[in-house]
Amino acid sequence: MAEAIHKKLQSELEKYQQMQKDVSKSMSSRQKLEAQLTENNIVKEELALLDSQNTVYKLIGPVLVKQDLDEAKATVSKRLEYINGEIQRYESLLKEMERKSEQHREVLSSLQQEYQRAQGQAVGKFQKGKKKI
Amino acid sequence: MASVHDQMAAAGKVKRSKDLPQGVERLKEEHRKVVKDCRSQIEHWKKVENDYESLQERLRTLPDKLSYDIMVPFGPLAFMPGKLVHTNELTVLLGDNWFAKCSAKQADALVEHRKKHVKNTLDDLQKVMKNFQNRADFTDDLEKLTGDTGDFVDIREEVINEEEVTKGKHRLAHKANSKPKQVYLLELEEDKEKKEGDDERTTGVLSEEELWARLDELERQEELQDERYRYTRLDSTDTNGEDTTSSSEEEKEADGGSDVQVNGHQKENGWLPTSITSQMNGTNGSHPEDEEEEDCDEEAGNGLPTIYFSHTAEFKKVRINTGKNTTLKFSERNEQKAQAKRKKKSGKSNGHSPHESYKITSPADIYRVFVDLVNGEPIPRKSILKSRSRENSMCSDTSESSTADFEERRAAFGRSWSHDDATHSDTSDGITEEESPTGTSPRTNGRFEAFTGTVIEKDPLPCSIPHLTIAPPALPTIPERKLEEVGPEAPQEPPKRMSKFKATQLHQK
Repeated sequence: MAEAIHKKLQSELEKYQQMQKDVSKSMSSRQKLEAQLTENNIVKEELALLDSQNTVYKLIGPVLVKQDLDEAKATVSKRLEYINGEIQRYESLLKEMERKSEQHREVLSSLQQEYQRAQGQAVGKFQKGKKKI
Repeated sequence: MASVHDQMAAAGKVKRSKDLPQGVERLKEEHRKVVKDCRSQIEHWKKVENDYESLQERLRTLPDKLSYDIMVPFGPLAFMPGKLVHTNELTVLLGDNWFAKCSAKQADALVEHRKKHVKNTLDDLQKVMKNFQNRADFTDDLEKLTGDTGDFVDIREEVINEEEVTKGKHRLAHKANSKPKQVYLLELEEDKEKKEGDDERTTGVLSEEELWARLDELERQEELQDERYRYTRLDSTDTNGEDTTSSSEEEKEADGGSDVQVNGHQKENGWLPTSITSQMNGTNGSHPEDEEEEDCDEEAGNGLPTIYFSHTAEFKKVRINTGKNTTLKFSERNEQKAQAKRKKKSGKSNGHSPHESYKITSPADIYRVFVDLVNGEPIPRKSILKSRSRENSMCSDTSESSTADFEERRAAFGRSWSHDDATHSDTSDGITEEESPTGTSPRTNGRFEAFTGTVIEKDPLPCSIPHLTIAPPALPTIPERKLEEVGPEAPQEPPKRMSKFKATQLHQK
């Protein structure tokens, strides 16, 4: 009886750990997105400072590709929107993951209690047996 | 049982104290970590700012020359002499793999813009650091407080007996609670004494009847004292406050008093007044005088204007006219209770009528004093100035007595008015006359001090007509004004009233 509970406990624990990892991954990607967001904001502002006389280049791999200033501005704005959308998505995902991990935690705790009780009983039985002897 | 509880509490406390430093330590650790992080970040950003500053410098000086001779780095280890040309053309990394070709001045502007961002970040970090620093300090202080170390000291004062603390300014609730306790105490003592007496029949044992008689005496005495206290007590302004202060005084007596039993009975008296024999006056007269703080000037003989009746007839209630057609019955609730009791136990000489509480020292007193008597119960009036219906203003007593009373009262109040400045309200308010007013008038003459209304007897006649009152109207507002008004108006009224009264009598007949 205790063994079965123990096995169950182990499996649940693993699942929970997996969940935690996913959560942390999502968190980190979200942070990255945040950084990109700020950066793109700065780029947008700086592009606004420039005039059309300056040529704008985009680094694609090892190549600097000439870009139009307006085009560049548009591109940067689009990227900004994309990044915002991504952040939203990750937010919802994180919430979901949090909820699931909570559930898992509860299950784990209950299982642990059961296991401890079972262990206690087993110990008691063992002791009883010992005493008898 | 208390010890166990204490032990448990102590154990809990010990446990808490063990956890507490750990928790506090942990909290402090976290705080310190955050502060450290903030510090490092601030360092980093400051460096960045410095770099931008130097860059700006370089940008300003760069276009000065068309070309510079420099050592160009070749790979990680070698340098080559070379020239730096196109000094004004700069390719600036805007971020996110975006580049822009611009002049030095434009680059300068860009750098300025970036510096602004850096500054903002730095400010935020500073704020966070300060915040967490404050938190850490607070936890430090908290630890000191709870650990009883440091400069903080918890000052406590344990009050055992609250009554002592309040110094006589008791609230009613207190006194109400304290009273029964005393009573019980007394009963216990009595029982104790009784038990002791039972052992030795000869000494100190009071038979039941004697006990009752003694009770009655003491109650009467207490009532007397109540009235006296009410009359002279200045600091209490509540209607019941005076009762309670008098009782408090009695309590004081009890505390330091000579005869506990007597005092206890007196206390009982305050709440359950019964008739008192005049004997007790002497024994307990000393106490109130000792403890009286108020001005004793107004007292004559005992100091207070009192009316002593020696006959054994029942008390009659006294009505005071405080308006045109109004009757006011002055009495404390105790007084009425006393009178009720006296009526019940008719046959005992009464001490004196209650009129200590005539004294009006505050507006509350006025409302206390002027109370309507409805079916023997005092009902506070909503408005003193308003007069009740005529029905309630008919007197059923003999007019002669009323007038006689009124005359002497006028004289009395005149004297009192000259004698005492302000606050004597109707001293005759609580006058209770037992039988014929004529019998009482000579006595009352010498005792009345301040009187601001007329006194009317209410006979226990079958007439349910309200009593006529002889008094000047507009009495209630201010005693002084009343007194003033009483004089001129009074002489006019009696003849009218008499006529009215005669008319009613004739009508009755």
